[in-house]
Amino acid sequence: MTGLWEVLREAFPDLAAGFWVTVRIVAISFLIAMAVGTLVASLRVFPNRWVQRLGGIYVETFRNVPLLVLLFISFAGLRRAGLPVNAWVAGTASLGLYTAAYVAEALRSGIFSVSPGQIEASLSLGFTYAQTLRRIVLPQAFRTVISPLGSIVIAMIKNSAIIGVSLLALPDLLKEARIEQSRTFQTSETFFWAAVGYLLLTGTATIAVRVLERRYTIRR
Amino acid sequence: MTYVFDPTNWEWLVTGNNLRFLLEGFLVNLEIAAIAIVLSLIAGLLLALGRLARLGPLAFAVGVWVDVWRNLPLIFIILYLALALPDSWSERYESIVPGFFPEALQSGRVLGALLALVLYNSAVIAEIMRAGILSMERGQAEAAKALGLTYSQTMRLVILPQGLRRMVPATVSQLITLNKDTTLVSIIAIQEVMRHGRIVTSFNFFGGVEAPVLQVFLFIGLLFVIVNLSLSRLSRRLELRERRLTGTTVQPVSGLELQP
Repeated sequence: MTGLWEVLREAFPDLAAGFWVTVRIVAISFLIAMAVGTLVASLRVFPNRWVQRLGGIYVETFRNVPLLVLLFISFAGLRRAGLPVNAWVAGTASLGLYTAAYVAEALRSGIFSVSPGQIEASLSLGFTYAQTLRRIVLPQAFRTVISPLGSIVIAMIKNSAIIGVSLLALPDLLKEARIEQSRTFQTSETFFWAAVGYLLLTGTATIAVRVLERRYTIRR
Repeated sequence: MTYVFDPTNWEWLVTGNNLRFLLEGFLVNLEIAAIAIVLSLIAGLLLALGRLARLGPLAFAVGVWVDVWRNLPLIFIILYLALALPDSWSERYESIVPGFFPEALQSGRVLGALLALVLYNSAVIAEIMRAGILSMERGQAEAAKALGLTYSQTMRLVILPQGLRRMVPATVSQLITLNKDTTLVSIIAIQEVMRHGRIVTSFNFFGGVEAPVLQVFLFIGLLFVIVNLSLSRLSRRLELRERRLTGTTVQPVSGLELQP
């Protein structure tokens, strides 16, 4: 057990730096996922079949492709094509766009749970379609799907670890643990502390979701 | 856009053995996913039953086990096992792996990869199954008890057949996730489709035609979309058939279908 504490004392600065890189990746990807996810969900309920189909294609594509493939395409692929993409942009955009497909699906089921009467009432009061969605439907939709959105965000935190060990090599928590391990060969000790870091993140997210759920969820 | 669809950038696909090489790699992914899902379903059921057991300490221990593994990144588990599993285990695996297994699965590194996939996915599936079992009305278990069935009979004959049916959609979407996750084992140098993709792009490998990274990985992405879309279509069809045959609406376990 003494080894465990010694490794922590030795590796703490690097692991902490990696922890914050992971937090930043997750925060940026979260914003992208929410913004794009909301947009795609709006496309999927738009009163035009072709626009709906466009949203459907987005969801089916990004939901069925491995994140690692997206990272290869957005980083190595675009670079070889002559577009100098930076690893942060490629990493957060891939994770964000990938997660957005799941956010869109969750939101769509939330949108369908808002009664059509409300939408008709709002349209007859002279709200435009976009206003109806933004002011009336989406606020309620978000509140009905807090719990699925929560599990999507937790999955996103876990998926963020793929960015560091892929060819993008952002110095996130797992990457730092890997570097530390190859320096000291204290495999279990180093990975134990990295696991604590990840469980801290997923655990905090779980509790946050539970609190939000209790306070805001509309049950139907 | 013109770059993406420029025919000269797709020439590699029909040159030499490039296409076959990629498909062979993809087959390894599907095989790993198939083995892992079978083992995960078995282990997941045991874990779910353990967590629901009326034996306090056992339920608690299984609960902690499940919550730890399913809240860690899968790639973390894969990497850890690749570094930490004793060599003797890998050698043991190499000596007992059946000869009809494809060559890529004969390597000792596959053991760690399979273990990691099963550790993670059995924990996720255990939660899906637990939700499926808990979603049964209490009256069913009470009625079974009143009829004189024991606990194991109640589970086996009444609760599980209905509860497990409810989680078919959730299990299929977990299989889709697992399919995608098999690409992660490329990081510990198992020869599957991502590795094959990199080989094709890095050496002008077969036929001497340059294979651009973007096009190769777009193609690999397409392979995953085709297989995973067919899987989700199939699951929807099964669900509809089930509904028609039994005349009931099988309530899928909600909230668990959407797992990235």
